[in-house]
Amino acid sequence: MSSYPTTMPPTRPEISNRPDSDPRARWTQIATSADHKSIASVLLVTAFGSLFLAALELLLVRIQLSVPENVFLNAVTFDRLLSVYGETAIFLFALPLCIGLFYYVVPLQIGSRGTALPRLGQIGMWLFLLGGIMLYAAFLFTPPEAGINPLPPLSELAFTPNNGVDVWISSAFMIVLGLLMISIDLLTTLHNLRAPGMAWRRAPIFTWAAAIVTWLMVVVAPIMLAALAMLMIDRRLGGAFFAGGSGGSPILWQHMSYIYFTAAYMTIAVTTLAAISEIVQSFTRRQLPGRDAVIGSLVAIAVIGTLAWTQNMITAPLPSGWKYFAMLASISLIVPFGLIFYNLISTISSSDFHMRAPLRYAMGALSLASIGLAVEISQSTIAVGTQLQHTYDAWAATHFALIGFAIFGGLAAVSYWYPKITGRMLNEERAKISFGVMFAGTLVALLPLFAAGVSGQVTDSYRFYAAEDVDIYNLIAVFGTLILFVGIVMAVGNLIKSRTEGAVATPDPWRGDSLEWLTLSPPVEHNFDVLPDVRSTQPMRDIRDALARRDAEAGAPADEPQPVA
Amino acid sequence: MSLLTALAGFLTGIGVLAGPAMALSLNPDAGSAGVDKANTLHWILFVVIGIIIVVVNLAILRAARPRTRHTGPPATAKKGSQLKIGLGLGVVALAIFVTATVFSDQSRVVPVSTETVSGMTSDKQLEIEATGSQWLWRFNYPNGAFSYRRVVVPAGVTVAMKLVSTDVIHTWNVPSLTGKADAVPGKTNWVYFRADEEGTYTGRSAILSGQGYSTMSIEVSVVSPDQYEAYVKTQSEDIQEAQDIVEKRNQAAAEADEKISKESAKDETETSKTSGDGQT
Repeated sequence: MSSYPTTMPPTRPEISNRPDSDPRARWTQIATSADHKSIASVLLVTAFGSLFLAALELLLVRIQLSVPENVFLNAVTFDRLLSVYGETAIFLFALPLCIGLFYYVVPLQIGSRGTALPRLGQIGMWLFLLGGIMLYAAFLFTPPEAGINPLPPLSELAFTPNNGVDVWISSAFMIVLGLLMISIDLLTTLHNLRAPGMAWRRAPIFTWAAAIVTWLMVVVAPIMLAALAMLMIDRRLGGAFFAGGSGGSPILWQHMSYIYFTAAYMTIAVTTLAAISEIVQSFTRRQLPGRDAVIGSLVAIAVIGTLAWTQNMITAPLPSGWKYFAMLASISLIVPFGLIFYNLISTISSSDFHMRAPLRYAMGALSLASIGLAVEISQSTIAVGTQLQHTYDAWAATHFALIGFAIFGGLAAVSYWYPKITGRMLNEERAKISFGVMFAGTLVALLPLFAAGVSGQVTDSYRFYAAEDVDIYNLIAVFGTLILFVGIVMAVGNLIKSRTEGAVATPDPWRGDSLEWLTLSPPVEHNFDVLPDVRSTQPMRDIRDALARRDAEAGAPADEPQPVA
Repeated sequence: MSLLTALAGFLTGIGVLAGPAMALSLNPDAGSAGVDKANTLHWILFVVIGIIIVVVNLAILRAARPRTRHTGPPATAKKGSQLKIGLGLGVVALAIFVTATVFSDQSRVVPVSTETVSGMTSDKQLEIEATGSQWLWRFNYPNGAFSYRRVVVPAGVTVAMKLVSTDVIHTWNVPSLTGKADAVPGKTNWVYFRADEEGTYTGRSAILSGQGYSTMSIEVSVVSPDQYEAYVKTQSEDIQEAQDIVEKRNQAAAEADEKISKESAKDETETSKTSGDGQT
């Protein structure tokens, strides 16, 4: 009896008691709960609903661009779809997916019974939801039409006099503020509510990523909020912060907004690379050999990547020092990205594993992101950047990286924690088919656009001309986008169907090493009956070993309702 | 599964090989010295990037390969650390290579004029002001001539294009002559190019500027210095002529107005006189 940690009572610690079921209606529970799991589920469900909408909008945009001088959509409708697509993909899909995953999993990983400031998380979720509802309610009157990033002076009242841009500003403000509040809650939790013994050096990689991303949000979100408030003052209160020629500077908006957008890009990269690290560790049953290097690389990506925001402004009238700094920072990102990719791939390569949905999605994510990142880094050089920025080459590179990280990486993470979140296993066959369809769709949709961009086709234009000689690339891209859309529908459909049809999951289906696998699937509201004592980076393995030793000493107890496999 | 991954690898390979091939045609030979050198650098960079993508994806494919499971101990740490050192060296070499590539970047070197035309600045450049407005470009030449949408420049002369905007941000984009540059209201931006071969180079504004964005085209006609001189002279004379006609008409109209107002004033005084008379 002396071989397992003394703070652990002599019952099996993985058994948590389910509290009496709540008699209230389910929607009342969701609407009023300040539990991080309930809030995170709302974020994740919204994210995947928005993924469907974003894919639909992208498909419509691509159909308009299928043949030269197409008349399927007019200029205004195209601009509106494009603007809403951009906000949906970034603010309603990718960011809530990242924050939602952290908010669900990380309190469990650090062995906490809840979050430190639960009401802050709750109001954050409501702000986020209302922002999303506001954006889509705009389809009843005037959706925004000033582009994915509404650059002033175009987004000033003089040039877009309708309410569309006001909707964009307000909904983006609420979403950024909401996600910031959730981040603050998570950050406070991370610093105060870690289980006994969970020093930072023992924290899982995903927990480290949560700390990196929430700190990043705390730094960059106020900048974006300030920019949005200033643009609103310009439009409605007669301000001139960003007005050209009357004392304001349109470039100021570009600095402030691109800091946030670049940080969002890095957030997505850091989140999914950390999730993939967890997946690889669980499936290969090994710790990453360069665990410290991976964590350090994640920090480097978040900091250096965000500091390189002026790479988006390579054509703007800026002193060239800004541009050279951004270029060198972007190029130096090869090192942290390379280290992480190398660690993940070599670990998979030298291990035995069962190929399951999370690992398959993860490898797809690495493959697509490698294409996007490599081209993105090449474009951050000034010579190439001034040629290729604002063309479909840049668009395709960004989409390769973000589809790889956010969609494939996001699905990898969600399918990995799916048994924990829903208590059911994800259907393996359907996941495999949807992976194949999405992967093929992404390649067919985006590879021809590299060629179109190098031939000079510019983005955000609602039509192109036969004289530009890019017909065939655009035509192929439509079919690819259609395949991608079908794949996304299949993947999201699988997430919905497996909730009711999937096999019932055990608490620890993958034999993971971090503490979220200690509690039940789905977790009880208070997460843990017993807070475990953490002695290493693999607390769950320690618990399994301790239990095995105890059972060997005492003979296996017969009355266990749910032994860990 | 292996068929699928092989196919994915094949497609990726094609996409990657397409990169360098496309990069070759990135800047058709327009004779601009800076663009020429940038061309070579693009090409080198694209090959490096292509190699990175191929190697990473081959490694992923290798890692995902179906294999017989063995029950022996996992690979030893020694092998891993050797690979790590190898990778570290590779990364450092790559970083040095790319940085060197970048610092030898000459695409922003301003070319020097080989020909001379009238109206050049003291540093032998022809300064043309390009003003972006929703949704066309206006070009002002040194001698006071101007044109819309199409700009005529002499071959062999370095053109300093001064980019300004009257309303929203527009992006100067003629890919076969120069890189892109934004015309931002309240700011001045410059692009420099020297076209050595006569011909027509087209482009489109490259940043969303409102509903007419897709029609905002740019056409650069490169002609011989003599033709250029003739063009700006005729253009300036035509403009002067048109302005003279307008001026004359304005003058005539003003004179007519004056006449009418004088007459009506006369009438008024007469009426007031009569009415005044009536009152007294």
